[in-house]
Amino acid sequence: MKKISVEHLARVEGNGGISATIDGKVVTEVKFIINEGPRLVERLTVGKTPEEDVNLVPRICAICTLSHKYAAIRAMENALSVKVPPKVQLFRELMHLGEMIESHSLHIYYLALPDYVGFPNAIAMASQFELEVKIALEMKEFGNHIMKTASGRYIHGENPVIGGFGKFPTREELLWTKSRAIQFMPFVLKTVNLFCELDYPYCPEDDTVFACCNPSKNKYGFAGDEIVLSTGEIINKEDYKSLTNEFVVSHSYAKRSRYQGKPYSVGALARVNNLGERLKGEAGKMYRKYFDSRWKKNPLFNNAAQALEILYTFERIPRLVDELLNYPEDPPVVKYKAKEGKGTGIVEAPRGLLIHSYEITDALVSHTDIITPTAQNAEDIERYCYIAAQKLLENGEGDKIRERMDLVVRAFDPCISCSAHMAEVKKAPQNDWKEKLEEVKKKGPPVYVGVGKRTRSDDGLGIELALKLRNRGMRDVWLEYEIAQREGLWKNKHHRPLIFLDAVDFREKPGKVILLPLHYIFTNAALSHRLLPFISSEMNYERLKNSYVLGIQPESIQEGKKFSKSVRLAIAAVLAQILN
Amino acid sequence: MEKDKKEKLKIGIYELTGCAGDALLILDCEKELIDIFKAADIQSFLMAKSDNIDGELDVALVEGSVSTEKEKKELLDIRKRAKIVVAIGICACFGGIQAGFRNKKNWEKNFKEVYGDIQMTHTKPVQSKPIDAHIKVDYYLPGCPIGKEQFLSTFNRILRGNPPELYRFPVCVECKWNENECLLNKGIPCLGPVTAAGCGSICINHNLPCVGCWGPVEGANLTSEFQLLQEHGFDRDFIKKKMANFSGTGMADFLDKLEGEKK
Repeated sequence: MKKISVEHLARVEGNGGISATIDGKVVTEVKFIINEGPRLVERLTVGKTPEEDVNLVPRICAICTLSHKYAAIRAMENALSVKVPPKVQLFRELMHLGEMIESHSLHIYYLALPDYVGFPNAIAMASQFELEVKIALEMKEFGNHIMKTASGRYIHGENPVIGGFGKFPTREELLWTKSRAIQFMPFVLKTVNLFCELDYPYCPEDDTVFACCNPSKNKYGFAGDEIVLSTGEIINKEDYKSLTNEFVVSHSYAKRSRYQGKPYSVGALARVNNLGERLKGEAGKMYRKYFDSRWKKNPLFNNAAQALEILYTFERIPRLVDELLNYPEDPPVVKYKAKEGKGTGIVEAPRGLLIHSYEITDALVSHTDIITPTAQNAEDIERYCYIAAQKLLENGEGDKIRERMDLVVRAFDPCISCSAHMAEVKKAPQNDWKEKLEEVKKKGPPVYVGVGKRTRSDDGLGIELALKLRNRGMRDVWLEYEIAQREGLWKNKHHRPLIFLDAVDFREKPGKVILLPLHYIFTNAALSHRLLPFISSEMNYERLKNSYVLGIQPESIQEGKKFSKSVRLAIAAVLAQILN
Repeated sequence: MEKDKKEKLKIGIYELTGCAGDALLILDCEKELIDIFKAADIQSFLMAKSDNIDGELDVALVEGSVSTEKEKKELLDIRKRAKIVVAIGICACFGGIQAGFRNKKNWEKNFKEVYGDIQMTHTKPVQSKPIDAHIKVDYYLPGCPIGKEQFLSTFNRILRGNPPELYRFPVCVECKWNENECLLNKGIPCLGPVTAAGCGSICINHNLPCVGCWGPVEGANLTSEFQLLQEHGFDRDFIKKKMANFSGTGMADFLDKLEGEKK
């Protein structure tokens, strides 16, 4: 039995990972694990007033904060029979579009794109796609700006309330938003071309059911009162449970959902599949140009679908602003008298269908049910990863499993930064590290950096090696803690190879030594997009190409100070070879 | 110059259970971010980068509450490695909304109602607590999420080896600076008088009452706020609940005392 796992998907509303267990030629199990602690938010809202609930629930997630607020408000207004005037509805739509822009542009450009254009991460990608990276950041800021204008602050703004808004934006503010949206159009069109023409691999492909909100009046959009499925079925929002059927699994505090016993998918790809025919204007043209049957089977096309939705959003904003300007008067918050009621609100968060459902008894919340998109996608994420792993195994491409699972999980956009950081280790190819090391040395005297944690037995081998090299009088040997302060190390020694000394788990016999290019290890470790300006100054693609990892297979990385015997022997061999 | 660089402080930014809003806010300081990363040596920041190092630290910023055994262990390890620990955001300072079930029995009952009898295989859940329930905390930076200005000034002072100067006054002070009309005078239940400032009285600027999401200000006169709201005709349960929504353990003593009193 062999286990392939990606331990830290940096955030799935916190901390998650994916693992596949392989027995010979068969994938026996795939698990999408969420380590985030339980918060019991649904239970916390019981006994609160509807207003308090709307304050509390956006705190579920800082990234989808406005989608949560929007869904909760819609649910409460349904439960309490509150009707809001058109200006309120329009302004809510605008705030929601801000969140879509922010989330989608980050995901496709910074997290997804590097995989497809052959760069190990967004930083390295910047060397060839500088303009795209820059403008995409501006686009994200524009989304942020709309969210702040509408809600009061970037994260957890309280301006949207049951019955309306505390305050509306000024006419000038709206006009600025409109003109700024128009300015982005050329770049947005380019974005669609870029992402619809990417070379998406054929594996995994399989049919699934797609679910999303069904906006009224046969329009495209991100909110509605019905759920539409790719099977053609329509489910009233109050009957959402016939879609979701939640259950608990022991490896996650996030609940799971299945429709008629089968996994289903939500998100941009679900929306484009179910509602794409409704797209008009440029978005409609692009849909007709690019949409084909593969979009119905392959989750990787979620990236293309998000790009298409960015175009829809940028076309919608100028019209939306014009509609808003038809209502110069700011309506006051609608008051209500109802103290009892039951209601559900559904919206599309950037990553899919979000459901809030409440029961109000005696003016207080008596029951709450919240179903998030990532919870609904979890089953399909596992299923597609399973299909990918099995297929690759059958084709004798077992070495691609880890990488492909990364790609699949990331395509679902489970939560922005969750896809940013996936510890990546591939099965290493056979090579003679001694020979390779001598080759590297020919490029110039290497700079060595010891990496690891000394308190965790074999994990400390990198530090140990570096210290030993120093003791032997070798210069330009650093410990991982020191390199951040050594700007010279990165900047002025381009001609010199950089070798990281580290314990690397490449599923080999303990003590096995291997020397690999650094990007082979970090293929998918997309460092944060937002830190791009900073990190790109620290390490460029040229530098990366001349960087290596000299890894030793550890036997144990349990807490403890002692090295295992096999590793001790390997350390001695490496030391001798380096000093040779 | 070389000497200065050597003295850069080693900083780690950690997320426990919460919405990750405080870490996200740090990333949202787009213009200042480059300077932050130049001024300090960011050793660990999971949300932002992947080459994280768990070594000795000068300062650890910790967001979120402790909600699993694994997080508890992680936190103890952070304390061991860091000279200064700063709790950032309401979840770390007071446990946040998820610390709302103040007693353990109540929490256990609710946990069971959500997850049933299933045995979690990956990590054991524990009742959400602020980080100072498990370790000594040196400074508290309140917020939900933290405010950019206060974060930057605090960070700056710590980098220079000074203790932070936090706003030691309630939201009301900022509200007056912003020349808002007092909502309490209009009979709207506002928690401004007892809530830590720093948000710039953002809700009241939008004609909405303060919900207390930053938690209690140091030395908050809770009794007086309670009486004031009672005078405006709100009942005890309503006020208690309002105060408890975000404050976690922050007002627990006061609220527990009220529980004990007769109605």
